[in-house]
Amino acid sequence: MNPVSAGAGERETIPYCDNCDDPAVYFDPRLQRHLCEVHLSQDVERRVIDRLARHGMIHDGDRIAIGLSGGKDSSVLLSILSRVIRERWDAELIAITVDEGIAGYREETIQSAVSLTKRLGISHHIVSFQSLFGTTLDFLLTAHPLRACTACGILRKKALSDAARDISADSIATGHNLSDAAQSVLMNYLRGDFERLLRDSSRREDRGFIRRIKPLLDVHEKEITLYSMVNGITGMLPECPYATTAFRAEVRTLQAGIEYHYPGASLRIIEGQESLSKQAKKTVRPGTVGYCASCGDPCSGHVCQACGLLQNLNK
Amino acid sequence: MRLQLPNGTTREVNGDPRTVAALLTGCDINPLEVIVTKNGRLIPEDATVSGNDEIRVFLVAHGG
Ligand SMILES: [Zn+2]
Ligand SMILES: [Zn+2]
Repeated sequence: MNPVSAGAGERETIPYCDNCDDPAVYFDPRLQRHLCEVHLSQDVERRVIDRLARHGMIHDGDRIAIGLSGGKDSSVLLSILSRVIRERWDAELIAITVDEGIAGYREETIQSAVSLTKRLGISHHIVSFQSLFGTTLDFLLTAHPLRACTACGILRKKALSDAARDISADSIATGHNLSDAAQSVLMNYLRGDFERLLRDSSRREDRGFIRRIKPLLDVHEKEITLYSMVNGITGMLPECPYATTAFRAEVRTLQAGIEYHYPGASLRIIEGQESLSKQAKKTVRPGTVGYCASCGDPCSGHVCQACGLLQNLNK
Repeated sequence: MRLQLPNGTTREVNGDPRTVAALLTGCDINPLEVIVTKNGRLIPEDATVSGNDEIRVFLVAHGG
């Protein structure tokens, strides 16, 4: 967006930024404040830096794999991390894009990922479902009655961790934001899936998993979109064609509605889950840890979710 | 005012001054799920729109 300065008449209709004399582009209902392009960007970056520091997410010498779908969240994450790391840490960023094989959607987002990594000078690996699993998501879903986002999520996670292991990454950074996280908690409640609800994925490196970090977890989806627009990170991109059919789409509407009427609700949903998970850890014995009989990944059952899914398809 | 919605349709609405939030909720749109420009410039949901303003509403694209 071009920063056009406000004319005299505009002053009355567009609120000012709380921190300077520029017109606001964003009103933050929780903190009741107005921010201009520059101060919104600074505020988003500050929250990312705070989270990285508070949770000790990055160490000197780290190789950090970043899951770059090419969508706005991961693109904003890459753009912020590349700058922040250069300024503060001696760590290396490597982008990994998983091509699930979704016609009419992936081509454009992959192109966007390629041009972003080129622009930022970040090395970039693209791995595909086709080469890893011998099939595309599109084909899988036409041949089998699977829940699109569940199947895709399991396979994408496996593709990303395999690719991260191949490059000896110390951690995997993903673009999950505050809105996503609140939706995931709500979904687990609504499904009655308490095992998943109480799972703490940030502390599983001891089990042989590569540490996962989510630096955008304090930033709302709308704030990320605005950040992307005012900093020219991604253009308008298509949405995944499977997304609208998903349970998550309904929960997203629900979460956005609750957040709109009760600003800060998403943050409280997440904080509630975190303290619940902490409490549960004191009383619940951790499940037995084994390794997948098929691929060797750490998992709780006989085979991991991804191998289980693929084996079922071949029956 | 001319209002362009995320689905590409355009509608003409009367020019009485109101906030962006009021305009959106009147169309059953949650302001958190969209980004709005007035005459090409990003504006917050409590900005006022009126008269011959050109309003565009963009969906916050999900995923990725
Ligand atoms: Zn400002
Ligand atoms: Zn496995």
